[in-house]
Amino acid sequence: MSHATDESTQIQDPDQPTDSDQVREIGHDEFDPVGALALIGLYFLILVFLWFFMYFVEFLGNDPTVVSGIVSVVTGGVGLA
Amino acid sequence: MSNAYIDQFPAEAKVIRAAFYSSFFALALGGVFGIIQTLHRTGYYRFIDSADYYTVLTAHGVFLVISFTIFFLVGIFTWAITTSLDRGVEDLRFTWGWYGLMAVGITLTGVAILAGFTDATDISASVLFTFYAPLQAHPLFYLGLVLFVVGTWFAGVDWFRSWWAWKAENPDERIPLPAFMVLTTMLMWYIATLGVAAAILLFLLPWSLGLIESVNPLLTRTLFWFFGHPVVYFWLMPAYMMWYVLLPKISGGKLFSDPLARVVFVLFLILSVPTGIHHQYLDPGIAEGFKFIAMTNTMFLLLPSLLTAFTVVASMEHGARQRGGEGYLGWLKALPWRDPVFAGMALAGLMFAAAGFSGMINAGMNINYLVHNTFWVVGHFHLTVGTAVALTFMAVTYWFLPQVTGKQLWSRSVALGQVVLWFVGMTFMSNAMHRGGLLGIPRRTAEPQYDGFEFEAAVGSVAELDAQIALGGVLLTLSLVLFFANVVGTALNGRSDDLPDNSYAGTLSGPEDAPQILDNLKLWTAIAVVLVIFAYTFPLLSIIDRGGLFGPELVELPLSTLDLESISALALAVEQSTIATLETTADTATAVIAGVIP
Amino acid sequence: MNIHAYEKLWLVAAMLLIVGFIATITYGSVALGITMVGDQQDTVEPTELADDDRFDDPRVEQVGENEYEAYVVAQTFSFQPNPIEVPEDSDVTFYVTSRDVIHSFSLVGTNVNTMVIPGEVAEMTVEFDDPAEYGVVCNEYCGPGHHDMEGEVHVVSEDEFDLTELEADGPDEVETGDEISVDVTTENRQLEAIETTITLEIGDETLTEDVTIEGGETLETTFTVDSATLGEGDHDWTVTVDDHTDSGTVTVADDLEDDGGDDDE
Repeated sequence: MSHATDESTQIQDPDQPTDSDQVREIGHDEFDPVGALALIGLYFLILVFLWFFMYFVEFLGNDPTVVSGIVSVVTGGVGLA
Repeated sequence: MSNAYIDQFPAEAKVIRAAFYSSFFALALGGVFGIIQTLHRTGYYRFIDSADYYTVLTAHGVFLVISFTIFFLVGIFTWAITTSLDRGVEDLRFTWGWYGLMAVGITLTGVAILAGFTDATDISASVLFTFYAPLQAHPLFYLGLVLFVVGTWFAGVDWFRSWWAWKAENPDERIPLPAFMVLTTMLMWYIATLGVAAAILLFLLPWSLGLIESVNPLLTRTLFWFFGHPVVYFWLMPAYMMWYVLLPKISGGKLFSDPLARVVFVLFLILSVPTGIHHQYLDPGIAEGFKFIAMTNTMFLLLPSLLTAFTVVASMEHGARQRGGEGYLGWLKALPWRDPVFAGMALAGLMFAAAGFSGMINAGMNINYLVHNTFWVVGHFHLTVGTAVALTFMAVTYWFLPQVTGKQLWSRSVALGQVVLWFVGMTFMSNAMHRGGLLGIPRRTAEPQYDGFEFEAAVGSVAELDAQIALGGVLLTLSLVLFFANVVGTALNGRSDDLPDNSYAGTLSGPEDAPQILDNLKLWTAIAVVLVIFAYTFPLLSIIDRGGLFGPELVELPLSTLDLESISALALAVEQSTIATLETTADTATAVIAGVIP
Repeated sequence: MNIHAYEKLWLVAAMLLIVGFIATITYGSVALGITMVGDQQDTVEPTELADDDRFDDPRVEQVGENEYEAYVVAQTFSFQPNPIEVPEDSDVTFYVTSRDVIHSFSLVGTNVNTMVIPGEVAEMTVEFDDPAEYGVVCNEYCGPGHHDMEGEVHVVSEDEFDLTELEADGPDEVETGDEISVDVTTENRQLEAIETTITLEIGDETLTEDVTIEGGETLETTFTVDSATLGEGDHDWTVTVDDHTDSGTVTVADDLEDDGGDDDE
């Protein structure tokens, strides 16, 4: 607890010069994670696309598949009609 | 004078060091077996007998996913408890006690596995990480696993004792986030390990000792997966903890939301266990309805990971913007990519995003026909435990080593090269594994080359996949060499007074924003137990009802000596039993005929 | 609890994703009829498969016009029967069990894939359309010879497919001048009748008989050849029905000794 709030923003590692690059302090109310939203939105789209690709192309295209005898008759009937 | 962990908690730092070094030793062994397998499977270089491949595979699996991961995580959990509660362990002898128990346990198990390489003893345990009966390991294998798991139970007790003592002194305080994560993870672990404890203590160990005749293979398998799925969260939770409490700080920012982090860990506690049956979608003897329930639970288990993705990225973004980053995606350039701790964790997180996708496929019930037990699954867990977890652990090692040894890291450049090399190597390897799985190439086989047919690739070729896997394996091995160079180099360094402070990330939205109920561990544990009872009672009862508690009579397959002699002996045994059966049948037939014909 | 608006948005999107995944799977089950391997079949004693009606004789059986059942036994390190032969345009239900450890039965390049657990029977119904040859792998580690465990499923054209069993039996020796008679047993295990020709080739002689065998029936035929026309010596004979053959050798001798020549057991 004590470590968490007091010291975390003091970056004093001499070995990590890049870390001292903090140019401003952004508080809770000023921070709007648009970048995170953009990235996560992109991830969402990729997931949806890949899911459909995997299910309808890779999986259903990988015939034959295990079906129940009854339904196969039903779909066969639909096919004839 | 610095204020590193070793300065604050010198005695605990020693325990953590021991746990880390045990972990790294297992990583080294696991890595050696990994490259042997890679080259053997792909056919690039085969110097072991294919029958011994499975001993190599058992060692690779057990050393990496049991010893490497768990030794490392008990180290960082000890760090998390002592640092966040700001108090040393209650009883150092107890702490060394559980470490010792784990070490003894895994040594017994390891010896049982490695003895499989020599004919000098009858001991062997080439049963792979899943040890499905009727494959039978030497009793030492099971006994060692039991001791190891009991060691982790005591470790949990140790951390709970610290929390209880702290709570008595700070009755009105919120549980600090790192401690909260440790406690919820351990509660999940206690529930989860009941499955494997039951499988081993009630069935497999007595069976391997000859005390019981037989076991029900579907029952022990189901109990294994009762444990086998949540164990992946046991590996993953420490990595998540690092992403929540260390990564924001390394990025130069703060954790975006403490309350959501708590929600995530509570969800893992209640949803990790009642999902194991999704590993058994293609098992005969379990009704489709149970499989559907397991799928629903598993799909909802995606939620905490998806929430984590947002919180972690937002925390990184906070750091980047404090460092001057601008734009929708331009801020990514402002992140400290040259810092191996950051780069390693960020790349691990990126790989985990990809792993998340293959995991979603694995969670799907009927699509499992496509991927079950194919190389796809191997690709998946080399992204999860093999990268999200392993790369995060290696990256944070570069932060932890100075903290627990009091010595400067040997080389930051080598460390940066190491994490990048791991990322590149695993990209080649896991991508090829996923694609190979879709062609139907099976996992867990010494020679995925068959006489009667070939795997047909619509894009690329099997040879190209093999080349990618072998290249990936070589890069990963190089990466490990760099890692160990750094660990050894650091250990050989002198004591430094100029180390970063032991601290973790602050929060933008702190625990004061989190409802008090989130800290009610008893409530979440009770819900978790109820969900497990709902998910498992009927499947287990049905399995016992069908196959019996101790199963049908079985042909045991003790894997004592893995050479051609044993195979031919086995073949002979099968032949003899067949002849015996035929003879009995003939005798019966004669008797019947004699009876019928007066 | 203080949750950022973007996080709420993502929470909703994540829930949509999860519900969408479950909906897709449900669509596959309900609308497409994809069925999971389940608990439809009774358990079996792995060490007593020889006494089990389903698995005493691993085989393919016809049960309806285009419906077949395949009873398959997996064991270290092979599948029985192998290859499994079924006709095109058929519904085949596989029943798979194990004689020893856990295996799998997985048709490479298809969605036909199941664990094979001793004591349990996996049931899978599959529609095969066109003729094809599929490899079968065991994709669960089953012991040191695991990588050698493979099989094949042949989906053959209607013309090539039959479930005919042929067995022919002839004498080992006959005295010159006596008749050689070869008994042929032909079983049609399909449901429909087959019209075919049984052929016996012996020496330079070829004898044929056109037959019709009703579904499920067994036909006994006997071919008779005069040994004198063949002459003294060993004569190989072959009986052929479609793609099935059985063969033997008969010795024609002038003077048969009572005690000699009986090298049959």
